Amino acid sequence: MADTEHSRRPRGWLIGIREAIPLLGGYIPVAISFGLISTQAGFSTAETMAISTLIYAGASQFLFVGMAASGSPLWLTVAMTLLINVRHVVYAPNIAPWLPRSRWWPWLMHGLTDQVFALAHSRLPQLPESQRVGWFFGAAMLAWLSWIAGSLLGAVGGEWLTSRWPLLGEVMPFALPALFLVLIVPRFTSRRWAAALSVSVAAALVCTLVGLTNIGIPLAAACGALCFYMVRPPETLGTDKGTTDKGTTREGRPS
Amino acid sequence: MSLELWIGMIVAALGTYLIRLLPLLWMQKRLTRSEADGPVDALPKWLVILGPMMIAAVLGVSLVPRTPDAAGWLATVIGLGVTLAIWRRTRSLGWPVVGGVLTFGVVVIVARSLM
Repeated sequence: MADTEHSRRPRGWLIGIREAIPLLGGYIPVAISFGLISTQAGFSTAETMAISTLIYAGASQFLFVGMAASGSPLWLTVAMTLLINVRHVVYAPNIAPWLPRSRWWPWLMHGLTDQVFALAHSRLPQLPESQRVGWFFGAAMLAWLSWIAGSLLGAVGGEWLTSRWPLLGEVMPFALPALFLVLIVPRFTSRRWAAALSVSVAAALVCTLVGLTNIGIPLAAACGALCFYMVRPPETLGTDKGTTDKGTTREGRPS
Repeated sequence: MSLELWIGMIVAALGTYLIRLLPLLWMQKRLTRSEADGPVDALPKWLVILGPMMIAAVLGVSLVPRTPDAAGWLATVIGLGVTLAIWRRTRSLGWPVVGGVLTFGVVVIVARSLM
């Protein structure tokens, strides 16, 4: 009976692939842009693919090809690339409590991008332990391969694609804010969290509008965290329903 | 790409990978040490708070439309509203995103044709 139930349950990697599909709407158009810009900057298709496969971090790849093409010193190009990616430092520790023991995790960390982190942070606590490695593998692999495929498309036919379907490149990226909204809304569990999360969203939006996209994410997150510590409603109001002082729900997951 | 640039690219790739990997190894060690307290208690409080804030920040960054004109912003606001409405009904991941993207596209096309 239990075996039948187990066999009926979809496999973890399939769930991961299915749930990561919305990411493609954001990844593929940006990857096409990267492929196009990279070849325009003088990199070959193979080099463009190598950059997307190995570095696999959107903003820093644009910076890398831009700085390299403009003749910036190599050490500065590498340092700036790494500096943009420093924000990833907090991702793995945040999902670590939900990662069951497996020798695959060190390899899978290559796929821990902003978007995969956002998805994993919300979904891993809800999945049974037996499905988590498979789920992460499926989600991260789909995102990675779509990024590489998009870069190839951009390098080979980016100019033709963007001139033929200009609206597609504008509409598809909306999948990302839509997905992040769905991931973040359940965390508005109290006035305190609502205020902090709203500050974080607003600060990131402002940073992007003034051209500080890369620093915007850590800066906005820090503003939100600061707000969380500053806004402490009177305990008698009981506004932190379902959330403990440690910022975790009573079920034991970060709220 | 010159040999020097290839080496630079590989260093950047390796560094990015280590930025993602090393904090995991640090946290796993910390979790092993504090297994008796339960896994969540091993997470530093600032880290528990920073996780959702990072997701909120990624949302904020992605809100700016590719073409940030009136039609783009209007489509963003209406698209987010529809996404939220579908999420409230379905509590799923996929349908709200599909609904939001379709709405965004329709609003952009209609708004551009009227403006």
